[in-house]
Amino acid sequence: MKFVISRDALLKPLSLVSGVVERRQTLPILSNVLVVLDGQSLSLTGTDLEVELVGRTIVEAGAEPGETTLPARKFLDICKSLPEGSDIKLEIDEGKAVVRSGRSRFTLSTLPARDFPSVEESQSSSEFVVKQGELKRLIDRTSFAMAQQDVRYYLNGMLWELSKDVFRVVATDGHRLAMCSLETNIDVSEPTQVILPRKGVTELARLLQAEDEEIKVVIGSNHLRATMSDYTFTSKLVDGKFPEYSRVLPKSSDKIVVGSRDELRQAFARTAILSNEKYRGIRLVLSDESLQILANNPEQEEAEEVVSVDYAGDSLEVGFNVSYLLDVLSVISGDTVKLSLSDPNSSALLEEAEDGDSLYVVMPMRL
Amino acid sequence: MNAAASKQRKIIHIDADSFYASVEIRDDPSIAELPIAVGGSAEHRGVIATSNYLARKYGVRSAMASSRAMQLCPDLQIIKPRFDVYRSVSQEFHRIFGDYTDLIEPLSLDEAYLDVSDCQSCRGSATLIGEEIRQRIHLETGITVSAGIAPNKFLAKVASDWNKPNGSFTVAPADIADFVVTLPVGKINGVGKVTAKKLKKLGAETCGQLQKVPLEDLQRQFGKYGRRLSELAHGIDDRPVRASRLRKSISVEHTYSDDLIDEVQVLNAIGDILQELKTRFTRITDQYQPTKRFVKIKFANFNQTTMEELIPGNPADWLDQAAYMRLISSAWQRGAMPVRLLGAGLRLNPKESSDQSAQKDLFS
Repeated sequence: MKFVISRDALLKPLSLVSGVVERRQTLPILSNVLVVLDGQSLSLTGTDLEVELVGRTIVEAGAEPGETTLPARKFLDICKSLPEGSDIKLEIDEGKAVVRSGRSRFTLSTLPARDFPSVEESQSSSEFVVKQGELKRLIDRTSFAMAQQDVRYYLNGMLWELSKDVFRVVATDGHRLAMCSLETNIDVSEPTQVILPRKGVTELARLLQAEDEEIKVVIGSNHLRATMSDYTFTSKLVDGKFPEYSRVLPKSSDKIVVGSRDELRQAFARTAILSNEKYRGIRLVLSDESLQILANNPEQEEAEEVVSVDYAGDSLEVGFNVSYLLDVLSVISGDTVKLSLSDPNSSALLEEAEDGDSLYVVMPMRL
Repeated sequence: MNAAASKQRKIIHIDADSFYASVEIRDDPSIAELPIAVGGSAEHRGVIATSNYLARKYGVRSAMASSRAMQLCPDLQIIKPRFDVYRSVSQEFHRIFGDYTDLIEPLSLDEAYLDVSDCQSCRGSATLIGEEIRQRIHLETGITVSAGIAPNKFLAKVASDWNKPNGSFTVAPADIADFVVTLPVGKINGVGKVTAKKLKKLGAETCGQLQKVPLEDLQRQFGKYGRRLSELAHGIDDRPVRASRLRKSISVEHTYSDDLIDEVQVLNAIGDILQELKTRFTRITDQYQPTKRFVKIKFANFNQTTMEELIPGNPADWLDQAAYMRLISSAWQRGAMPVRLLGAGLRLNPKESSDQSAQKDLFS
């Protein structure tokens, strides 16, 4: 194999693909990137056996096809640190990869391409097409609520639910839940639910950079594949049952509060300074036309804020982890936010006051 | 890679040099040139808490029975500890630490981790901050301390030991790889005699050799700790500096000047220990919830054994003398001989551990 490519054509796919490669690996070849040249089309593949990403780019004419694997991190660092606009020449010579550019020369070790593992494919069951921007919105609006290393492993990921003309994603860590829906042309005979693992979600989100371009998603029995013009992303699915999210959406909230999203966000952020650093609890005291926000910490320091809101009804005092509220207010848009509450033991529902496609549920804290 | 994770941390580990002994020498310079130790007297089966470097030359070590220490160093002066004084010196240390960072994790009265990543003093140089702290502590308290400066807790702790006493050592990020290669595995937190022996069988006496042991082998042998070992061998340690440390247990131990000769005497002795445990636990009862009872017995031949049990039912009813007696009795059967030390304690959980209690769950 032998080819010349401009640094700038190589850098973007190489860095995205290297992102999938874990820093420390059990199998040495997993820290490598698979490089395959077919005609002028160069493909780069990185994998951690759970998530696989293939990036495609074009090399200059006169190349000799072939395939090999190279240390991903080092290859990326070399390309990154070469000057912008330079050309990179790669050649395999007696099992070593020689990278040349200008007066620089690097010899990298290789491992045989035939040993590079691929994520197993499974029978595909459904497929659909969405715009990259639409999928990015679904992920951005919910991914913060995914669990991290929870023993309930099925929470360490994002639920993708397909039903007739609705694509919905849900994430929850057991204390709060985020859900966002997209109405789009989907043709499925019966609703399908799959769980994309946390790493798959983050890596996929990084790829979604061309707002208006389409992405084709194929869901199999134990994998999900998303194809764009320059990338193919494959992830294993989490084998588990996601909790029945519809059961925890509050339905009987009788206290509906509407307030300025920005004012509330700023008041929460200030109050948070004096909340308990670990538990982040704040107290909300709701009364006619006003929401009082209180926090104190073990050092007996106190914060108090009063925000005017649109509300008339019984008063209520309820505690929340302020980080959960701030997460929601930072990701939604619009001038106003709607907060639906019922009692100190029941969850709160947060959503954009008008025409929202997203719902957020936050469980209270006992204070 | 997100910004927070890739940001280089600067951790300083401060460790006073033979702290209790140094305080005693500071307050009575006439003993400076003598081998001294702070601890309980040999007659009362005391134990050495700290010794000065002179005494250490004779082989006197912390946690050694005072009688043994006297054998090794007949001129040893054993001084009764004055904890109030040590505590006030420790507070002076913390006041000085506080000028550089809020992220202080005390390990004991004389040992702490500081996270100075965001500290602007000394142009942000952690090495210079460490040096300044050492000088100020010496000037303001008369005690010398050693400092270890590194990007994480593990390396900082190893480094503070490097040029001890009254020295400091920095492991810069670029030097980590070279530094760990020759580092004996015994320096790793949690690697004691037994683990070191197992590692030796795998061909790893230094961290450099440990790096070469496949992760699968480590995980098979040590379970979860295997991955941790591999990370530490590479000089990786992501544990944050925690401003407040959580207690995992509380216990009261008593070494008897005359051995308790039989089970009846042992069972009679437990009452006093439980009384003291109750007094001590009452002070922290609003922060912690007991989960298990445990007892410890050290027999006359220095063999020791412990036993524990889950507290059934309401944790508030932990003080059940009969239950402790049953535990002590089964523990005693293991040796069935005179006893020199008895202990009783509780394993604890922090009370408002939000995940379980204060924060309510969606799915329950």
